[in-house]
Amino acid sequence: MQAGGWPDTNQVSTDPLRNEVQVTALGEASIDAPTRAQALLRTIEPYLYLLPALLLVGGLLLYSVAHTLAISFTDWDLITPPRFAGLQNYIDAIRDPTFTRSFSNTLIWTGGSLLLPVGGGLLLAVVLERIPGQRVLKTLIYLPAILSTTVVAAIWSYVYTNNGVLNETLRWVGLDALARPWLVFAPTNTLAMIVAASWRALGPSMVLFLVGLQTIPPELIEAAKIDGAGERLLFWRIKLPLLRPITAIVVIMSVIGSFMTFDLVWVMTQGGPGRSSETLAVTMYRQAFIMWRMGYAGAVAVILSTIVIAFSIFYLRATLKRSAL
Amino acid sequence: MIERWSIRQRALERYLVLALLCLFTIVWVTPLAIVALSSMKTPIEQSQSGILALPENAAMIFDNISSASELAGIGNGLLSSLIYAFVGSATAVIAASSAAYSIAMLKIRFPFFWFLIIYSGTIFPFQMYLMPLFGLYQTVGLYDTRAGMLLFYSAIAVPFCIFVFRNYFIGMQGEVIEAASLDGASSFQTYLRIVLPMAKAPALFLFVTQFSWIWNDFLFGQVLAKSDDVRPVMTSLAMLSGTYGKGSIPQQMAGALTASIPTLILFFALQKHFMQGIILNTAGE
Repeated sequence: MQAGGWPDTNQVSTDPLRNEVQVTALGEASIDAPTRAQALLRTIEPYLYLLPALLLVGGLLLYSVAHTLAISFTDWDLITPPRFAGLQNYIDAIRDPTFTRSFSNTLIWTGGSLLLPVGGGLLLAVVLERIPGQRVLKTLIYLPAILSTTVVAAIWSYVYTNNGVLNETLRWVGLDALARPWLVFAPTNTLAMIVAASWRALGPSMVLFLVGLQTIPPELIEAAKIDGAGERLLFWRIKLPLLRPITAIVVIMSVIGSFMTFDLVWVMTQGGPGRSSETLAVTMYRQAFIMWRMGYAGAVAVILSTIVIAFSIFYLRATLKRSAL
Repeated sequence: MIERWSIRQRALERYLVLALLCLFTIVWVTPLAIVALSSMKTPIEQSQSGILALPENAAMIFDNISSASELAGIGNGLLSSLIYAFVGSATAVIAASSAAYSIAMLKIRFPFFWFLIIYSGTIFPFQMYLMPLFGLYQTVGLYDTRAGMLLFYSAIAVPFCIFVFRNYFIGMQGEVIEAASLDGASSFQTYLRIVLPMAKAPALFLFVTQFSWIWNDFLFGQVLAKSDDVRPVMTSLAMLSGTYGKGSIPQQMAGALTASIPTLILFFALQKHFMQGIILNTAGE
């Protein structure tokens, strides 16, 4: 991609030079051939454009990544100077039952967000595609996605409180037996929060699937219909296979997103009660900023990142394949 | 005969699906209606009246907003977040566009390497940034300052911006070079007068998406700020809400509504950009 750009970029950077030469030839000003300092400036100049972005990203983000990695091998507690602890934090984490629970909660989040936003989004897209007036419905379903996770958490906390929207509605319908404290017992609290998160996440995945469905050539669908294929067959044999690139992206994105779940859980339950609804990101935050166990928190962050980066590589592959098409 | 019956059945099925969809959509947006309704009630009214009962005095929403503001600094948060979102995304767009210009159009060594360095900022979970930033900000005096928040928000928005700009610039290389060589502009003039004006569409799109990202951030406000003046609005809202929140339900809902207004306006004003945004975010094109 870059190789093709070389001759052209050359031309741009020699442009000012050509300009100077022209000026000299006209005799309007006597400009000497570029001195060594000027030449140096000319080679450096393109890099100056990189500088602000590099400083911001390198100085704040990449520095932090390296530092967190380093912290994870120490016993730093913010007060006493950090000492090298080897892999102790990682061993502690793996043996810690709260870490294990946090990990399995995170896996529940992953499963839940594959089922609800991804599966639900696909279903809605397939149904909506054939409906007149889909624009209005689409916009309305997408609406919660504009809200921040914090706002969603605030709204759904109200939905789930004892005398909140859900329990009142259940009582009103006569299903008193189903009314319960939704955010108190595991795994109900995690499942309840997954529903809240899906309220926000469904719209975007639905829109992506709708875009994917539009790219399927209509002739293909028509041909299948003439051959007598019903809607179900059409979906399983034609639409779903052709949606694969989009599906890969939506799935991987949801997996990555579910592993990074923090805001919603923190605002709704702070990972409680009794740390029963923690996810990995919540565990990391609690260890770092409540218990001041920076080393342990670093190890959790590194474990989390390893998983996320592994999926991101799949993701990049999927998108690169898609753009190659 | 059978044919006609099956057509009729299919039409019926269609109506059934449509009805179900409409029902689903109504249930789906009901929480939004509930937010609006309960933000206009007094706490007593809220606990005594039905959830969907209309408020007695809609102007109660202003009382709720101002008491929520006193309780958690929502008002200050709105101002701070407006500054962060506006300046932060503008800074990121400028820094990223100039870097992408250098990478895509100027003569530098290892352009792809520089791109990867800057772009790699998107790959890490935010948990990797929290502790070092907190420590760094404490030592250099940026903790709990608006400057510190701005700096961070600018940085976090750069990687995605550079990705979009680089793709865009590589696409438009030929035209720019032609135009630039015609009037013998310097590289800075080319950037300012030719490249930036041509990149209006991606710049606007990025500004809007990054604006709403910064506006919606909760986590970094939680870690890098603590005072009412500096805390962004979502972090303030979180203090009111949830199991451990200290606000009444009408206050929480009034706060949630107020905090959502700017992004809602942006969405309806620039709906196309938003929809494009999720496609771009995911497809990376």
